[in-house]
Amino acid sequence: MPPFTGRTVFEGFVGQQFRNLFGLGLGAELFYSFVIIVCSLMIYFGTKELYELSSYKGIKYFRQAFLFFAIAYFFRSFIKFIVIYFNVKGVIDFFPITFGTTGILAQLLFLYFSSMAIFYLLYSVMWKKWNGRSYKLYLFHGIAVVIALISVLSRNPLVYLGLNIFLLLTVIFVVYTSYQHKKNKKKGHNLYFIYVLLSLFWILNIIDTLIPRFFQGLQLFIYLASTFVFLLILYRVIKNVGAN
Amino acid sequence: MVKRERLDIIKDILSIIYQNRNSVKITPLIRQSNMSSTRFKEYYHELLEKELVNEIINGGNKFVSLTNKGYRFLEKYNTIVSFIDEFEL
Repeated sequence: MPPFTGRTVFEGFVGQQFRNLFGLGLGAELFYSFVIIVCSLMIYFGTKELYELSSYKGIKYFRQAFLFFAIAYFFRSFIKFIVIYFNVKGVIDFFPITFGTTGILAQLLFLYFSSMAIFYLLYSVMWKKWNGRSYKLYLFHGIAVVIALISVLSRNPLVYLGLNIFLLLTVIFVVYTSYQHKKNKKKGHNLYFIYVLLSLFWILNIIDTLIPRFFQGLQLFIYLASTFVFLLILYRVIKNVGAN
Repeated sequence: MVKRERLDIIKDILSIIYQNRNSVKITPLIRQSNMSSTRFKEYYHELLEKELVNEIINGGNKFVSLTNKGYRFLEKYNTIVSFIDEFEL
């Protein structure tokens, strides 16, 4: 019986030919990363003046989140480059090959910056409720380092999956709790939903980077959805801050 | 909403300076801002530190005036507040 992965499910629906049609090469991967990095940096630099003028912590953590997304995507493209160019199955194969140390370092940094980007986004929404205590931020840094180390040292796809599902459930729980306690629930205010979507697609991206064959064939859809979420946030930032 | 109040207070202090033709003595500034002198001092030091205002000595009297950054804060205040609201920060 074939392993139950996104790929087997997808092939069950649409078959090999359709999967090949959506098989993504290095160029497409790099272009996707480039778009997300540009979006993230536009958000980061577009809100620079607002933070410099106000010194508002919420804006600071929001900007940090997108800076970390940009850095994480940089390392993600590096990992993708190694996986595609040297035709390895995934990061699990990094040890035996000559570029092992560089690949593992990139994987470690990718996981650390990925986790911290999500934690910063959470913290930007929750810092007031958590009374702005900065020790929680140190705790998040610690958790991000632990997640990165466990993932790299274990080299087990199930551990990658488990950690990312744990991360996603944490985000959903915190965002849902925050939304429930919010007094002023504006009609049509869907930002919490966007944050959950952002975290969801980000975590799918992490799984896709660490276990490339897990979503093979579905990558294009994940990439399009992720790009859409980033562009949506960028649009809302530009709408508020202005195109300058 | 503690942080929003902080931004409001900063905007109020800067607006008072602006309405006084960008030059006001400390005592009337404290009075017009409706704050205790202790609390005012706290904010005033922050404004000086962030270079939103500066002090000018003229004829032995100390006047407070807005810097370019202070003007920019007043211009951008509504944007800052709407951004914080939009992203639930």
